[in-house]
Amino acid sequence: MRKNIGLTLATLMSASLVLSACGGNNGGGNASPEPADSSSPSAEASSSAPASDSGSGKQVSLSFWTLFSGGDGDNMQAMIDEFNKTHPDIQVKNTKLEWGEYYTKLITAVGNGNGPDVGISHTSRLPDLINQGVVSELDDVAEGAGVDWGTYNSNLLNATVVDGKHYAAPLDTHPFIMFYNKKLLSDAGLLGEDGKPVMEQSADGFVAFLDALKQKLPEKVTPFALSNSNDDPFRLWWALYHQLGASDVISDDLGSAAVDADKGAKAADYIQKLYTNGYIKKNDPDFYKNFQSGTAAIMMTGVWATGTWEATKDFEFGAMPIPQIFDQPATWGDSHTVILPVTKKEDPDKRKAAMIFADWLASNGQIWAKAGHIPSKPSVLENADYKAMPYRSDYASVADTVKFSKPSTKNWQIRDNALFKYLNEVWAAKMTPADAMTKIQAEVEKILKE
Amino acid sequence: MRISKWRADLLALLFLLPFVLIYVLYTIWPMIKGVEMTFYKWTLIKKMSYVGWDNYNKMFHDREVWEAIWHSTLFVILTTPTMVVLAIVLALIANRKSRLRKLYRTVFFIPSVLSVAVASFLGLFIFQPYMGFVNTFLHLIRILPENSEIFWLTEVGLSWIAVSAITLWWTVGFNFILYLSAMQEIPDEIVEAARLDGANNWNVFWNVTLPHLSPITKTITMLQIIASFKVFLQIYIITGGGPLDKTRPIIQLIYQTGFRENDLGYAATMSYVVFVILLVLSAIQYWLNNRKEARA
Repeated sequence: MRKNIGLTLATLMSASLVLSACGGNNGGGNASPEPADSSSPSAEASSSAPASDSGSGKQVSLSFWTLFSGGDGDNMQAMIDEFNKTHPDIQVKNTKLEWGEYYTKLITAVGNGNGPDVGISHTSRLPDLINQGVVSELDDVAEGAGVDWGTYNSNLLNATVVDGKHYAAPLDTHPFIMFYNKKLLSDAGLLGEDGKPVMEQSADGFVAFLDALKQKLPEKVTPFALSNSNDDPFRLWWALYHQLGASDVISDDLGSAAVDADKGAKAADYIQKLYTNGYIKKNDPDFYKNFQSGTAAIMMTGVWATGTWEATKDFEFGAMPIPQIFDQPATWGDSHTVILPVTKKEDPDKRKAAMIFADWLASNGQIWAKAGHIPSKPSVLENADYKAMPYRSDYASVADTVKFSKPSTKNWQIRDNALFKYLNEVWAAKMTPADAMTKIQAEVEKILKE
Repeated sequence: MRISKWRADLLALLFLLPFVLIYVLYTIWPMIKGVEMTFYKWTLIKKMSYVGWDNYNKMFHDREVWEAIWHSTLFVILTTPTMVVLAIVLALIANRKSRLRKLYRTVFFIPSVLSVAVASFLGLFIFQPYMGFVNTFLHLIRILPENSEIFWLTEVGLSWIAVSAITLWWTVGFNFILYLSAMQEIPDEIVEAARLDGANNWNVFWNVTLPHLSPITKTITMLQIIASFKVFLQIYIITGGGPLDKTRPIIQLIYQTGFRENDLGYAATMSYVVFVILLVLSAIQYWLNNRKEARA
């Protein structure tokens, strides 16, 4: 008896150790400030060096902070290793940070003058970082490093330009797309010869498609796997809201709330009915798992899930842009971009090396695309390695129809504290879409005025 | 004589010095700086501008703050009495002469060794719909019809029950041990004397055990009120403060304001108001205790 208790105790305690280790972040432990070595004494020597400083014998070392974990983290490390191998004069050191704490750490570190030479930012976070003086302008250094902005997808690039200045090099876009289970769709007779769903792309067409899935598949199967709160249903709403022709929830001058109440309510109402009519499982505790274990016919989330589904054994799935339900194609999306944080002494050598590195990452997006992201340079889409990967080309076109948020410094507060909050109530059928729009308008106004 | 006393004091001070220095540097000084912070707009990076009493003004008119304070208070009301009663009941069970005595003590105390994250995630698993333990069990004993689910984590009232239940399960062990040791301090002679006078179990509990537990009950109540008022992580993990921020406690709001919305000045203001509330509560409790003791 006693032995068993001891065993249980030991198990519980070790479980608690493991779990608390997951919760608490590490990775940041070695996020020490870049030692100001090697480069500083020879600073003046470099100004006379030729434009391509390869073979000058002097090595620039860059500290790079990333927020990627899992497959993304491995792919990024692979790219860094490749870059270091092909660029003997530049050595990049990767520091992986916990993504939940990444921005807080970046902002405080840069504020203390201990920030990295290169970092990652989501496009949606960029205005806030610029406003806080964390991110530096890139135009001069990009010219020196020979970066051609014209090689980037203009939709992605434009979202990183603020007041006519470049602040980041886009690495990818990760839009909201649709996945489907081929086996279940074919059981329901809804999979075409071409391996794509048989569905009319319209408001009624999509509902009819879901209804057919519901009728023809066993009761245990969820027609449409989607979470019941926060990110993913919000992304669907954002997509439909923009398909109706609306544009963000703030005015063009970024100063006031501008919810298009009719379009917002129409989009919210459409999604609410998907919940109340039972196409989406109510309060699904884990909609990824639901789809992954083959008990859901379709699901929608970001492209990053592609890599996860591919790694799932015996799982036949397809990927496609989300259906065009209303007037024009549009979807939610964000981008990972490479930024050059403000540093204490703006070492021109380091900045140039950092810019070369950033542009190289974008040009070699075929490695990065393994996780599912769409590369930011159209030329990468023609790369043989990229083309050889399945699924990606089925949704690469979405890059042009991603609707980014306007460059407000309050983007994510608006998302978390206004949109998530009231839309969640609509999904739970506790608030009418029209009421939610009124409340969102007021809340966004309040956030912008703070 | 005088001199040696003075020397002893000096010596004591010397031994205390390392602690005092660190305590002042890392606790007292930040507290003073914290007061300064409340008068500024202060981001994660630096002091921005002096704003006078603006933060306080804003706070007194901010409905979110008062709602969050109410939620923390509600949590205190829900958990404090239940905690005391549950701890006494468990201590009574474990204090009986029984072969399972050791098992009881271990089982009741074990949850306390878990970290808050583990306890909360277990709570999430237990209360989640479709595959959680609670709903599955209710289906099994046919209290809950086959095709319906109770959404413990997404309905406001139910999520308070879920969070309180998890907290009780997780923290009752410590209070249970306090009660158990208090019960073991009660001299056997008194109980024996009571029995000789014809007291039954109930009489013994009501007239002997309970009065002896009174001092420890006061301590536990006070500790529990303060601990419950500081609730954050369980709720943050289990409900995230939702739906519609209806379960968000004040500490979560402080955390969000400071570290997510980058407004340390306003977060500090809220913290000091919570500090004052707790101080007043403690003072009232202290005063009540002293008055009762003086009368007795």
